[in-house]
Amino acid sequence: MKKVSIYRPTTVDEAIQILSLHGTSASVYAGGTDLLVRLKNRLEQAPSYLVDIKKIDHLRYIKEDEQGGVEIGAATKLAELADSRLLQEKYPMIVEAVGKISSPELRNASTLGGDLLQEVWCQYLRGGYSCWRNGGYLCYGAIGDNSYYHSAMGGRLCYAVYPGDAATALIPFDARAKLATPQGEKELSIEQMVPGDMLVDGKIQSHVVRYNEILTSVVIPPPKPGVRASFEKLRPRGVWDFAMASLGMSLQLRDKTIEDSRVVFGGISGKPYREKTVEAFLKGKTLSPELGEQAVAVALADAAPLKYNATKIDMAKGLLASGLARLNT
Amino acid sequence: MRQIEALLLEPVGCLAEFPSAPFHEIAVRLFGRKGKPGPSASRSYWRLLNLIDSAATEKPLNAEKKRIADNLEVEAVDAASIYEDVAPALAELKSMGIRLVVASSLSHRAAARFIERNSLGEFLSSVYTRDQAGGVKSAPLLSALRALSIPPDKAMFLTDTLEGIKAAREAGVHPILMMNDPDEAQRLAMHNPAGGVVSLHEMPDFFRLLAAQNQRG
Repeated sequence: MKKVSIYRPTTVDEAIQILSLHGTSASVYAGGTDLLVRLKNRLEQAPSYLVDIKKIDHLRYIKEDEQGGVEIGAATKLAELADSRLLQEKYPMIVEAVGKISSPELRNASTLGGDLLQEVWCQYLRGGYSCWRNGGYLCYGAIGDNSYYHSAMGGRLCYAVYPGDAATALIPFDARAKLATPQGEKELSIEQMVPGDMLVDGKIQSHVVRYNEILTSVVIPPPKPGVRASFEKLRPRGVWDFAMASLGMSLQLRDKTIEDSRVVFGGISGKPYREKTVEAFLKGKTLSPELGEQAVAVALADAAPLKYNATKIDMAKGLLASGLARLNT
Repeated sequence: MRQIEALLLEPVGCLAEFPSAPFHEIAVRLFGRKGKPGPSASRSYWRLLNLIDSAATEKPLNAEKKRIADNLEVEAVDAASIYEDVAPALAELKSMGIRLVVASSLSHRAAARFIERNSLGEFLSSVYTRDQAGGVKSAPLLSALRALSIPPDKAMFLTDTLEGIKAAREAGVHPILMMNDPDEAQRLAMHNPAGGVVSLHEMPDFFRLLAAQNQRG
C-alpha cells in the first residue's frame, strides 16, 4: 500500500485548511471503499495525505428539513440510507437504488458523499495503467476491453463511465449538494456537481468539487404530489457490481398524463446521463402500455458506443421500457 | 510533458480517410511490389515511405517515377474524405495559440491540393512536405521544426502507425497516437507513444490539461 499521512480534523474548517495546505496530494477520507483500494493498488494518482472526516460532527445524519424535504449528511453510510424510514416514506425509489449499490458489507462502510464523488472503476486505471486519470495521456479503455466500465455515449479524453448509482437516483428529485469551501458554503444541483469528465485542478475527474472543498450534505426537495419514480439497474452479477446500465426516472402525473419527468441513465456515460429528448417526448403523453416502445424509439440518439459496449445502449433502452411499464402499474 | 507549442500533422490517417489503392499502386509501379492493397491506407502509405526512404540512398527516383508518384498521390487526395471533426478542432486549436503545421511525406502538390480541397489553409501556420525536406518520414518534421524554430519537445506529431511513432521519435517530438482503429491502436500503445486520442476534437482538452499541469508545476 502507498504510504500516507492521516489527519483527523474535528471541524469542517480545519479539514479545509489541511486540504488547502496539501493541494491535490491530499484527499477526503470517509468510508474508504474507493480511496483505500486506490492506495492499495499504489495508483500514481492516489493521495499522500488523507483527511479523515469521520471525527467531524454533523456530517452523518438523515433529517427532515423545514420545507418537508430531507437533508442527508455526506458521511452518512449507505446502509443507513437503505434502512431509513424517513427516506422510505418520502422517496422509496432512493432507498431501492441504494439497496442495489454494491454489497451489504460495503454499504456498511460506504458513505453517500463517497458514492457521489468516487473515482471511476475502469479496470485499466485500477490496474495502474498510465492513463489520463493516472499520470498518463491515453485512454486504454477506448481501445481495450470496454464492455463493462466504459462509456457508450462518447468521452472527453477518458472514456470510463461514471460509476455511482446515488446520483442517478437523486437527480430525478432535483436533489442539491452543499459544499464547504474556503470562501464559504456553495450549493450545486447534483447534476451540476457531477457533469462528467472535467479538467479540475490540473486533473480529470467526474465531479467539479475542488481539492479544498468538502461535500457536506445532500438536500432532497419535498416530494411533489403525483410523482412516481423508479430505479432500474442491470449489472454483470446479482450483487457487488457496477451498473452495465441503470435508470433513475421520475414522472409528475396528473391522473395518467405526464406533466414533467426526469430520465437519468447511469452506467452508460461519463456522467449520470439525463436524457432530455425523452423527457420532452414524455411531456403531455398519457402513461400507457405502448408508451415504453415509443419512448425507446427517441432515446439515446447520441449514442457512440465503443467496440465492445453497444449492448449497454440496448440495455438502457430496455430499462426505459421496463421503467415506464412499472410506473404504469 | 512540457507545454506544447506546435502540432505537426500528417494528413494521411490523421486528418482524413484515404484510399489505400493509390499508395499501393505507387509501390507496385515504382518498386515492383506485388499483392493487393491492404485495408489501411496509413499502413500502405508508411510502407511506401519505407520504400522511398530506402531508394533515396540506393537508387533515387527519376523524374518520370516522381511524376507517377505525384499523380497517384493527388488521386488519393481527391478520393480522401476529411474527418468531420477536423475543421472545428483545428479552429479551436488555432484560437488557443497552437501552431498547426502540416509536416507530411506527401509531395508538395498533393499536400497543397489536400489543404485547398478541404479549406484548411486558414488554420495552418505552414506546410512542409517531402519536396521541401528532401526526404520522407522524419525529414518533413525536422524541416518544420528547424524552419519554425520550435524545440522538438514542444511539438507533437499525430500518427496512427508504428512508422509514424518512430519518425516522431527520430525528430525528437512527442508521438501522439490517433486511435482510429482500436485493435491497431491497442498494438501500437505497446510502443509507448507519448499519448493517444480517439479523435482530433480531443486535442484542445489535451492541451488544456497540459497547460493546467504545467501551471501547477
